[in-house]
Amino acid sequence: MISGLVQILLFQSLGEILSKFALPTLPGPVIGLVLLIAWLVLRKGINTELALVADGFSQYFGLLFVPAAVGVVLFLPQLKANALAIISALVVSVILTIATSAVVVRFLSPKASKGLNHE
Amino acid sequence: MNEQHSIVEIWVYLSGSPLFALFITLAAYQIGLWVYKSSKQNPLANPVAIAIILVASMIQYVDMPYSTYFEGAQFIHFLLGSATVSLAIPIYRGLSSLKGRALPLLASLMAGGLASIFSAVNIAKLLGANASITGAMYPKSVTAPIAMGIAERIGVSPTLTAIFAVTTGILGAILAPFIFNALGMKEWWQRGYAIGIGAHGIGTSRAFSIHPEAGTYASLAMGMNGVISAVAIPFLYHLFNK
Repeated sequence: MISGLVQILLFQSLGEILSKFALPTLPGPVIGLVLLIAWLVLRKGINTELALVADGFSQYFGLLFVPAAVGVVLFLPQLKANALAIISALVVSVILTIATSAVVVRFLSPKASKGLNHE
Repeated sequence: MNEQHSIVEIWVYLSGSPLFALFITLAAYQIGLWVYKSSKQNPLANPVAIAIILVASMIQYVDMPYSTYFEGAQFIHFLLGSATVSLAIPIYRGLSSLKGRALPLLASLMAGGLASIFSAVNIAKLLGANASITGAMYPKSVTAPIAMGIAERIGVSPTLTAIFAVTTGILGAILAPFIFNALGMKEWWQRGYAIGIGAHGIGTSRAFSIHPEAGTYASLAMGMNGVISAVAIPFLYHLFNK
């Protein structure tokens, strides 16, 4: 558990340092994430300690953005004034996003693989 | 009278320490999880949305300024960065699923990501929303922790972005099955991948509850979308806002 956390914090710190000094447009944790993937590909595997911590995080991921999202109390008047625009934009956009992704992935996939998939 | 006095004292003590903010945040999330499970994982009963509404109502009810609440809750908030790094593990596990399908998957991600940004920003703008709102919509299809990081970099409100991202995830998880059926999508991996692009983590957990292959591809899509958006969105944002 601790060793898993140490690995995560190490890559997070590396990411923050790179973000500060080399790649200011990228958030530090995202750089850390990419570095960790590269490290896993090089090592060809995930150690159990790391998997334990990562699975713990992913299970309660949603909890972690509650504090920031509660800041919505500061935006209530602005959200109310723009409710129609926001709701229309989010609803139509999510439909278009999912439909576009679905159509593109289907038409670019080789049709022949269809039969092979049911081996 | 004396009793009331001591209750006030206890309240003053508690509300000044991080304990209160941590307690209501965790308790609200626990209630959210309980409602979600009792509703048989109905996407409308999203535990995060329930927790946000409960905590927001609570701090307004006791008249606690948001800054005071956040001072306590920042210990939870801090873990967001670590949780983002830990996304490397599900992405790494999904990498083998990319084999032989890299072209359709990457093209789908690009098309979906652009559709998300252009449609949301332009519809909101058309209906009169100002730049602070349209700006926060750029990363709304990206998983919330990365979306908030992107929001900070492009100088829009991470809070609005988180709210839009959570709402998008809930809407996507509800609407996706209808969209796929209307389009006649049959392959689980394609359905999973598309929901991961449009509805990030909330869509992914829905995909996992329906079919494991859909879940694997949804989580791969969510991860790739997060990384590629972190690179592309600041660029696109400055292209259209300068």
